[in-house]
Amino acid sequence: MMAAAGAAALAACKGHSPETVARAGHPAGPTDGKDRQPSSIPDGNNRPAAVQLPRVSILSVPAYTQDLYDIARRMVADHQLDVRGRTVVLKPNLVEFEPDSSINTHPLLVHAAYEAFRAAGAATVRIAEGPGHRRITLDLADAAGYFRTIPRFEDLFVDLNLDDVTRVWPKSEFSAMEKLYLPNTALGADLLVSMAKMKTHHWVGATLSMKNLFGTVPGGVYGWPKNMLHWSGITECIADLHTVYPNQFAIVDGIVGMEGNGPIQGTPKHAGVLVAGRDPVAVDATCCRIMKIDPLRIGYLRLATINPAVLAEENIEQTGEKIATVATPFNLIPEFSGIRLG
Amino acid sequence: MSIENLISKQNRDGGWAYVRGGSWTEPTIYAMLALSSAGESIAVRRGADWLRSIARPDGGWPPRAGVDESTWVTALVGLLPPETIGEAFHRKAIDWLMDTTGEESSAIYRLRQWLLGNPTPASDRDYPGWPWIPGTAGWVGPTSFAILALEKEDHRRASRKVRHRIEGARQFLLRRTCEGGGWNHGSSRPLGYPSRAYPETTGLALAALRGVRSPEVSQGIAMAKGFLADCRSADALNWLRLGLRAHGELPPGFCTPTDVEYRTTQDQSLDLVMTAGEQGQEYFWG
Repeated sequence: MMAAAGAAALAACKGHSPETVARAGHPAGPTDGKDRQPSSIPDGNNRPAAVQLPRVSILSVPAYTQDLYDIARRMVADHQLDVRGRTVVLKPNLVEFEPDSSINTHPLLVHAAYEAFRAAGAATVRIAEGPGHRRITLDLADAAGYFRTIPRFEDLFVDLNLDDVTRVWPKSEFSAMEKLYLPNTALGADLLVSMAKMKTHHWVGATLSMKNLFGTVPGGVYGWPKNMLHWSGITECIADLHTVYPNQFAIVDGIVGMEGNGPIQGTPKHAGVLVAGRDPVAVDATCCRIMKIDPLRIGYLRLATINPAVLAEENIEQTGEKIATVATPFNLIPEFSGIRLG
Repeated sequence: MSIENLISKQNRDGGWAYVRGGSWTEPTIYAMLALSSAGESIAVRRGADWLRSIARPDGGWPPRAGVDESTWVTALVGLLPPETIGEAFHRKAIDWLMDTTGEESSAIYRLRQWLLGNPTPASDRDYPGWPWIPGTAGWVGPTSFAILALEKEDHRRASRKVRHRIEGARQFLLRRTCEGGGWNHGSSRPLGYPSRAYPETTGLALAALRGVRSPEVSQGIAMAKGFLADCRSADALNWLRLGLRAHGELPPGFCTPTDVEYRTTQDQSLDLVMTAGEQGQEYFWG
């Protein structure tokens, strides 16, 4: 009850009643008795998912080794993603490159995912990203090891900052964004795979699969940085952008994440996990718990759910490792000490 | 890339893509400058026709056809020789720039912040920069491009108003240097934590600060020379060349390393434009 009241209060603060949120067409939570999973990528057994809790897998992966290729294949199979004949777009988190840092999604994981989706029958698998601060995307990718690790990387890659765009209107309306120009490569994907890095973030607390979608907002239209997102409300924009892409899968690289002053200037943090699932909200809430961050204190997670109860651990079906066995506190800057999971 | 290759990549509508696909304003202008440096006139004229066709009623330019907002690329239109785009269109671009500031400098925003108990520093009012898109804050990139366009305009037709705006914008840049020198996108101390400079923005800001002598500029030049020695990004090297040349500090006989990849229309065009500039054919000032 308290959680529901909190949602209503939060919605009211933002000028939205919960009813407004529901009308906006946001995926409903399991407590609403509706399917939270993307609709146009059916699971392999064509089972109705209406009453299922969102499923999130937590895999213990100690290091970036060749084992990732097998792990990624099992992950795709485990989540019953039927991508046969479909277009899959992998969206890593590629921000900047600093030697000895852990800013970016590891290229070996991206390549493992690429191979896994190809093996699962995807007609096309592309890798796409639009960094927020720097314009030299391919040079960043080169420095970050993507060219060395991923054969024919330049042929597979689309710079989302410079891609052709289409105007869309986000379904939810938390932010001041009325319309948005987004890259056709991301909009045209049958499955958009947000391959985020598990990091703390100095504006929103944690950056995971939902925040990673900022990389789909084109710098070619909005600049470097994509300051429109800040002026429209970062937290609110994360929640809104999430609704633009209905067919998502999330893979969060927490093998080595980042703690402290993330997402760029923090320090590497070994958590030894990959977290994956079809519901980005559930994946990010689970990642928060692994980082010892309270997901209910992450503003965009609260906005992205009609009822905060859907963020509760018992309302997410977790497979693989238990959160308790892999959880490790990520250091937080003082401004975010209040989000620590009690 | 050769001039012939650049011409072959011109879209049917007369513009150029960044890499592939539809035409964008920015690469089209760089391609036009590169082709102008080689004396190509037909492709340049087609590019200018496309630019005129997408001009917006408010006097600015969108980043590409179909986007209904004027943005920072208007500064690039202002950089084109007026005879290329037409005097009336050139005038509109300059006027749009003169009417545009970062939102943090606007009276309404400042009043609102004051009423909320968060007064903004006077420097935001006195030294306005330019945003990537209107309604957002000023940043190093668009401010540098706008300075370059207005500096050319002031050289062509001296104006106290334009001069005043240039001087304020240069202060904007000088107040955003990174610790140790140079510039990044414009956030040198987010949350109080120092952040580092980037090569491409350091080169661009130095170009906009041509003729300015200050400790920040000296530090920026030193930083740019370091970047020039290590950097393998074509875009970054292009802007470093321009920035260092603006201060007479480009090492004599500098040659771009042979292992640098030219991946976009922008990379390739700007290399040709920078080379032309180094040979005395200047497009960014004068």
